[in-house]
Amino acid sequence: MATIGHNNLNAKLVLLGDMGAGKSSLVLRFVKGQFLEFQESTIGAAFFSQTLAANDVTVKFEIWDTAGQERYHSLAPMYYRGAAAAIIVYDISNTDSFGRAKKWVQELQKQGNPNMVMALAGNKADLEDRRKVTAEEARVYAEENGLFFMETSAKTALNVNDIFHEIAKKLPRAQPAQNPAGMVLVDRPPEGSRATSCCS
Amino acid sequence: MHETELNDLSDDADYAASLQQGSASMTRSDSSRRSSSSEPDGAEVVYLKDNVTIHPTQYASERISGRLKLIKQGASLFITWIPYKGQSSNAKLSERDKNLYTIRAVPFTEIRSIRRHTPTLGWQYIIVVLSSGLAFPPLYFYNGGVREFLATIKQHIFLVRSAEDANVFVVNDFQDPLQRTLSSLELPRAVPVANGRSSSLSASESPTDKNQVRADGVAVDGSLSSIQNNGRQRQKMHDPARDLSIHVLEKFSLVTRFARETTSQLFRENHSEGFGGNERRNHSQSSHDYHQNAASIDVEKVPDEVPVAPDPLEKSPCSNRGEEAATNVGTFELIDSKEIDKLTVWGKPRQPPLGPEEWATFLDSEGRVTDEKALRKRIFYGGVENNLRKEVWTFLLGYHAHDSTYAEREYLVLIKKSEYETIKNQWQSITQDQAKRFTKFRERRGLIEKDVVRTDRSLSFYEGDDNPNVNLLRDILLTYSFYNFDLGYCQGMSDLLSPILFIMKDESESFWCFVSLMERLGPNFNRDQNGMHSQLFALSKLVELLDVPLHNYFKQNDCLNYFFCFRWILIQFKREFEYERTLRLWEVLWTHHLSEHLHLYVCVAILKRYRRKIMGEQMDFDTLLKFINELSGQIDLDAILKDAEALCICAGEHGAASIPPGTPPSLPLDTGLLYAQQDDEVL
Ligand SMILES: Nc1nc2c(ncn2[C@@H]2O[C@H](COP(=O)(O)OP(=O)(O)OP(=O)(O)O)[C@@H](O)[C@H]2O)c(=O)[nH]1
Ligand SMILES: [Mg+2]
Repeated sequence: MATIGHNNLNAKLVLLGDMGAGKSSLVLRFVKGQFLEFQESTIGAAFFSQTLAANDVTVKFEIWDTAGQERYHSLAPMYYRGAAAAIIVYDISNTDSFGRAKKWVQELQKQGNPNMVMALAGNKADLEDRRKVTAEEARVYAEENGLFFMETSAKTALNVNDIFHEIAKKLPRAQPAQNPAGMVLVDRPPEGSRATSCCS
Repeated sequence: MHETELNDLSDDADYAASLQQGSASMTRSDSSRRSSSSEPDGAEVVYLKDNVTIHPTQYASERISGRLKLIKQGASLFITWIPYKGQSSNAKLSERDKNLYTIRAVPFTEIRSIRRHTPTLGWQYIIVVLSSGLAFPPLYFYNGGVREFLATIKQHIFLVRSAEDANVFVVNDFQDPLQRTLSSLELPRAVPVANGRSSSLSASESPTDKNQVRADGVAVDGSLSSIQNNGRQRQKMHDPARDLSIHVLEKFSLVTRFARETTSQLFRENHSEGFGGNERRNHSQSSHDYHQNAASIDVEKVPDEVPVAPDPLEKSPCSNRGEEAATNVGTFELIDSKEIDKLTVWGKPRQPPLGPEEWATFLDSEGRVTDEKALRKRIFYGGVENNLRKEVWTFLLGYHAHDSTYAEREYLVLIKKSEYETIKNQWQSITQDQAKRFTKFRERRGLIEKDVVRTDRSLSFYEGDDNPNVNLLRDILLTYSFYNFDLGYCQGMSDLLSPILFIMKDESESFWCFVSLMERLGPNFNRDQNGMHSQLFALSKLVELLDVPLHNYFKQNDCLNYFFCFRWILIQFKREFEYERTLRLWEVLWTHHLSEHLHLYVCVAILKRYRRKIMGEQMDFDTLLKFINELSGQIDLDAILKDAEALCICAGEHGAASIPPGTPPSLPLDTGLLYAQQDDEVL
């Protein structure tokens, strides 16, 4: 959820997508302005925060970067629950990663926060010569599903800030507090519900 | 009464002179000066002993001397120990440090027992164990007088000798005679001192032996054979940790161990002059104010209200009250954020890694490891030199049997090599055309290829384009995914293989060592995550056992799923330490010396180090995960290993009972279908 106060907005954002699609690289580019050719895989999840100004407000993104492999899929709800925004990342040079992205979209539509701002990022746009997924195909899909779409490159920084900026602009400025059950394991009884910081 | 007493010998020239004379101070006899200097009204000093000393570290050179007193006020008896002001063996022990060890009027109602140690040669000491299970560091009586001390106590309160250990005296301080009787009944095996004090008291406390430390460094006491010996002799060392009677009375206490270690170390240091310079100092410090910290140290009761209580293992206190620390592990520690790597438990000092000469002593003429337990214990405390790892890891991982001979191993290597080639050939023979119709294979290869190119590429061993070692990683992982097709490949596996290939160099050997490792760690990668769940669950139980306030904090903040420790456990801290340090940690974990689950105690140890920061800054799950991920590269492995060892010993059977059977890396309970096959279908 996003919370507002004195023109400051805290927004939980989650990155989902196939392994190696470039989720961590996008965050790293956005938060630290860096790119690592051999960015190591994400184990479990990582958390970052970054603030940016959009129009009238300052948005502090609390970013959850998840592990991409399907094997860890059961952990994902822990991270997307209560998120105000999601970036679903695929690799334009990998068709399977686009298929995977669609499945994430479906899952979020079913399970996620109904007001969630969703962005589709076609990453590795610098790899034009190895492109497998056309921008057109992705744009059509995004439109049909109410996402906004950008091709990005963590390597060249293309559209990286822009996609976060766009999300910041689209965030609803005030949200009713709902779904406070944050980090609860899927297949274990909740040990108590966690009030997400953004809903307080 | 405290403040004034801190100063009361600071201007005592006589005392100062005695200290400067070093060992001369030990022979100075000034026991039982019954000065009742600054006691409050109605308090009477019934016992006073000077030159009672603690050794905050395991080095004889670092000591804090003070005055021990028994004070009677009304019907209650109190113990105090106040360090002398301005007298310090070592500049490192600041005034404040000394302050921390001060025992300020602890009533005997809070004392469970007193253990005495009165060797015929060497210093006498006592260990005071509180009802909470907490114990003060050993108090060394440089001038003797333990017997008189106990006799004085007995005059004022009911003290019974434990039937299980003649050197343990159980305090039974009930004013009400009926209560006292009832309480005695609860201690069926304890017998009153008066009846039982014949042999051992008089035999062990010969006045002529007091204060003697043999200059040749030989400890005569049975429990203290020199720990310097390598080779066979090491196995003879008496290990008090196994002493059941100690265990019963000092369950949550480390002091006995510590006392042994300290004393061994004292003798060792007496032996070799130039100590201190080359060994890293563990500037352990302890606190004093039992009352203040009672809530945080009681592992049995959950305190009603939990302040951010300091803890001995924590690293960077965020307030300047950080020096006061109490613990549930039996000693008191001080943590100074400026001296962060000098602290901690009274655990055994880490040893140098096992080298080739010492390794040879573990093998018989045909190459069998004669004493596997001793080997594992040795590696537990020091690890293995890098050039020996290739050989030793094969035993630790269980690829080679300890009782195999050189010849048998050579043969096995050949057999296994061809077996490896056979499995490898299964995927190598898949043609490109065939692969087109073999999605599962393509996917699997794809996953592996994505990961190997981003595994440890900053190491020279794996760096650069077309690095053959990266290709080996790929081939081994792909072969493994055929060897264990049901488990397949899972992110994190490349992290586990990388160090093995780095050490083994050989493809087939690396594969089989990896197979052995995965026999234990495979469940970490189960699709239903149950291997991880059971470890995270056990971890939460251990924190509950070993750090109640921290547990309560996690509970209140809905962090009990411990997912912030996921990465630590999944890949055995691979991302948390520098490469070389990871190798050391792994070989220590693989010894299974104290527990198969030492890694969970390592988790607890790290969390305890940072507990105050975590609680003080009111970290929620998000912040905690970020904080923990960012600890990568910041953790002092040796210190953590000592802490983990201490915690593991402290937790004892309670700890073991917190970990469900079959929890990885224990071998799985049933060897049926381990990895139920499921499609890697998305969602
Ligand atoms: N050429 C190019 N490579 C990229 C780009 N973004 C990421 N990469 C590379 O792709 C690989 C995977 O990137 P990561 O950011 O680790 O991917 P991820 O989605 O976080 O992967 P997991 O953590 O395994 O789920 C790395 O080697 C990156 O250097 C990009 O925009 N262009
Ligand atoms: Mg990642």
